[in-house]
Amino acid sequence: MREIVLQAENVSKSFGITKAVNNVSLSFEKGEIRGLIGENGSGKSTFVSMLAGIHPRSEGRFILEGKELKVRNQVEANRRGVAIIVQETGTLPAITVADNIFLGNEDQFVTFGIKKTGAMNRAASLLLEKYGFDHINASSMIDLYSFEDRKLIEIVKATYFNPKIVIIDETTTALSQKGREELYKHMLRIKNEGNTVIFISHDLSEVLEHTDSISVLRDGELIDTVKSSEATEDDLKRLMVGRELKKHYYRTDYGQPVSDEVVLSVEDLSVPGEIDGISFELHKGEILGFGGLSNCGMHEVGKAIFAASFDRNGYVKLADGTTINSVPGAINNSIAYASKDRDNESLVSSASIRDNICLPSLSELADKGIIRAKKMNKFAQKNADVVSIKMTGIDQFVSDLSGGNKQRVVLARWLGKDSDIIVLDSPTRGIDVKVKADIYEMMSELKDKGKSIIMISEEIQELLGMSDRIIIMKKGKISGEFMRDETVGEEDLIGKMV
Amino acid sequence: MTEQRLAVKNRVGKYKSFFSNVGSFLDKPGFRTLLPLTGLIVMIVIFAHLTDMRIIQTRSINLILSQVYVLMIACTGVFMVMTIGGLDFSQGSILGVSSIVISYLSFYSIPLAIVAGIATGAFIGAFNGLFHVVFTIPSFIVTICSMFLFRGICAYLTTDAPVAAVTGITAYHSTWINISLTLSVLLISFLIYQFTRLGITLKAIGAGETAARFSGIRTKKTKFLVFMAAGAITGFAAFLNVAKVGSITATSGSQLEAQILIALVLGGMPIMGGAKVRFSNIIVGALMFAILHNGLVMVGLDSAQQQLIKGIVFVLVVALTIDRRQLLVIK
Repeated sequence: MREIVLQAENVSKSFGITKAVNNVSLSFEKGEIRGLIGENGSGKSTFVSMLAGIHPRSEGRFILEGKELKVRNQVEANRRGVAIIVQETGTLPAITVADNIFLGNEDQFVTFGIKKTGAMNRAASLLLEKYGFDHINASSMIDLYSFEDRKLIEIVKATYFNPKIVIIDETTTALSQKGREELYKHMLRIKNEGNTVIFISHDLSEVLEHTDSISVLRDGELIDTVKSSEATEDDLKRLMVGRELKKHYYRTDYGQPVSDEVVLSVEDLSVPGEIDGISFELHKGEILGFGGLSNCGMHEVGKAIFAASFDRNGYVKLADGTTINSVPGAINNSIAYASKDRDNESLVSSASIRDNICLPSLSELADKGIIRAKKMNKFAQKNADVVSIKMTGIDQFVSDLSGGNKQRVVLARWLGKDSDIIVLDSPTRGIDVKVKADIYEMMSELKDKGKSIIMISEEIQELLGMSDRIIIMKKGKISGEFMRDETVGEEDLIGKMV
Repeated sequence: MTEQRLAVKNRVGKYKSFFSNVGSFLDKPGFRTLLPLTGLIVMIVIFAHLTDMRIIQTRSINLILSQVYVLMIACTGVFMVMTIGGLDFSQGSILGVSSIVISYLSFYSIPLAIVAGIATGAFIGAFNGLFHVVFTIPSFIVTICSMFLFRGICAYLTTDAPVAAVTGITAYHSTWINISLTLSVLLISFLIYQFTRLGITLKAIGAGETAARFSGIRTKKTKFLVFMAAGAITGFAAFLNVAKVGSITATSGSQLEAQILIALVLGGMPIMGGAKVRFSNIIVGALMFAILHNGLVMVGLDSAQQQLIKGIVFVLVVALTIDRRQLLVIK
C-alpha cells in the first residue's frame, strides 16, 4: 500500500435543505489516478469543488500531507498544491493565453508594480512547448482558440506548477479523441511524477481504462471504492444506480398502438443557426421522444413549438388548423412547455411557489378581471399537493427548493393549466432517482388520459424507456425515427446522432 | 505583509457578512413590511424630541403634507416601474413639461388642462417605454437621456420668463382637494394592483423576465405600458404642482426622480423589484422622506448638511436592505 497523500474526513455540503454531499470520507494515495463516478447530482462536482476551494465546506475537513487544507479560493488551493480543471470553460476571454496560464500568479513577473509581459509570454511559450502544444501562441488572445485548445491551455494552467493533486472534472466530453489522448498522456505523466489525479467522467469505459481505482458516489454519499482492474462497467453501473433501478422505472408496455388522431403538426420549422426544416406530427396520447447530441437543435424544437424562439419560420398547427405564433397563443391553445433551463425559463426563481403555479393560469383564475388571493392560494395548494412538492408552504420561494422539487413546481403549474400538449425539455436533468420515477409515472398517467407529450432528452435510456416514437436529430435536421420496440437499442440511436 | 493583507481582508469580510446577515434577517416573513413602519415611527419620535414637539403641531403637519402629495402620486407610477426591475429618472422632467402644458391650457379650461397634463406625461412615458422595449436599452439609460431632453424643453419654454398659470388655479391648492386626489390615485392603483393580474404579472417580470415570458405574460407590452402609466400618473401630479406654485420655472420638478427613488427605498422597496415589493412601500416611504426633509430643516441644519445626512441615510438603508442573492443589473 502506498502513502496516503490526501484524506477527506466526514465532508458534507448543503445547499439550503438539499444535502449535495453527505458525510463523505475518502483517502487518496500518492501517485494514483482515482476515478470519481456517479449519476448527475450525485455530488461528484460538489465534492471536488470543496477540495479546490470553489465552494466552502458545510462540515468535515480535508487533510493534505498531514496538514489540514483550508482554502477559500482556487488561487489559495493552487498554492497548497491542489489544482482543478473544471467542467465548464475555466479560462477568461479577452486576455492572452499567457495571462490565462498565470492568472492569480502574476507576482513572479512583477517588479516594482510593473508587469513584464515579455517575460511572462516567454515563460508561457516554454511551458506550451514542454507540453507539446506548439500550435498555441502564448501572446495571442485566447478567443482565437477553439474550445478544445482552451481546454489544453487549462491543462497547462492547472499542472505547470507540479501540484500534488490534480482534479479533472468531466473535461473529456468537450474533447475530441486526439484531445483526449493528450489528456490521458498528461494524467499518466502526473502519476509518474508521484502526484495524484482525481478523474471525473461519465464515460465508464474511459474511467476503467485510465484509472487505478474508482470511487462511486450516489445521492451525495460514498458507496464504494473499487480497483479498476477488478471491476466491470456493469459493476460500476450497479453501484451508481443502486437497487432502485430494478423496479418499475420506465414504461414496461410494448406494442400498444397509438391513436391515429393528430393533435399537432409541425411543418418546415426553422430557426436560423439552430434548426432547419423540421416537420413531424404528434398524435393523441403519444409520448414522442426527441434525442441527439446536446447541440443538435432538439432543445430549440421545443422552444420553437412554444413560439418562444427568436426569428422562427414555418408552421406549428393544431388539429383544428389554429397556428401557434406567440407564447400566450401557445398557452391558451393548451400547449405547455417545461424548458431545460429550469431556473431562468421554466420558473421565476425569486418568487413564491404560489405565484409560479398560478402565472400561466391567471386568465382562468380571474373572475371578470378580478383575482382573489383566496382562490389563488387554493389553486396553488391543490396543484402543489398533486405533485407532492416538499415545501414549508406555498409562500416559500422557489429559489430555496432542490432541483427535483423545482421540477415538481414546473409540473404543478402545467397540470393546473390542464394542457393537452406538453413539451418537456430534459425533464429529469439533475434530478434524483426518486423524483425521476415520479416524473415517469406522471408522464404515463398523462398519456393514459389522452394527453400528448413531447419529451426532449439527452439521456438515451430515458428515450428508449418512455417514448412511443423517437425522433433523432443531427445538426439541426431530423436524421432518424424509431418506433417503440424492445429490439431498438442504444447503438441504433447513437448511430443516427453522430 | 501578506498576513497584514489577510487581516484586512478578514475585517472587510466581517463587515460584508454583517450586512448580508442583516439582509437575510430581513427575509423573515413580515419583517420587510414591519421595518419601514418602525423606521417611520422612530423618525417621528426623534424629530419630535429634537424640535421640542414642533414637528407634530398642525402647522408643521400641514407643511409636511403639502410636500407629500406630488411625491406620493409620482411614487405610485415609479413603484410599478421599479417592481418590474426598472428605474425612471425622467420623472422630474415629466413633472416640469406637464406643468408647463397645464399652465398654458389653464387659461382655456381646467379639465382640459388636467387631461393634457396626463397626456403629456403619458407621451414622455411612452417615449421611454419605446426606447427601452423596442430598442432594448436599459431603462436607467433611456430615462437619464429623456431627463436631459425634456429638462431642455422646459428650459427652452421658460427662457424669457416663468410660465404662469391662470391666477385662479391656486384655488385648487386646498388640503382637502390634495388629500382626496392623492388618496384616489393610491386607492385606484391599489385596487388594480391587488385584485387584477397586474400585480402578480409585474412582480413576475421583476423577479425573472424570461420565465415570465415563458409563462405567457406579454412582457414587452406590459413594460411599455408601465412606463407610459408612470408618465401619465406624474402628468396628473403636475396639476397639483401647478395649483401649488402658480408659475413654472426651468428647474420646476427637478430632483423629483431622486426624491422618489429615496422615498421608495426608505419605504422598504427592494431596489431590484420583484416578488418582495409591497404597496405600503409607497405610503410609508413618501411620508418618511417628507418628515426627514422637514425635520432636518426644522432642526436648523443648512442645506449642505441636510444633503449630507440624506445621502448617508440612503446609503445605509440600501446597504442594509438590498437582496444580495439576486444582485442583477437593473433593467
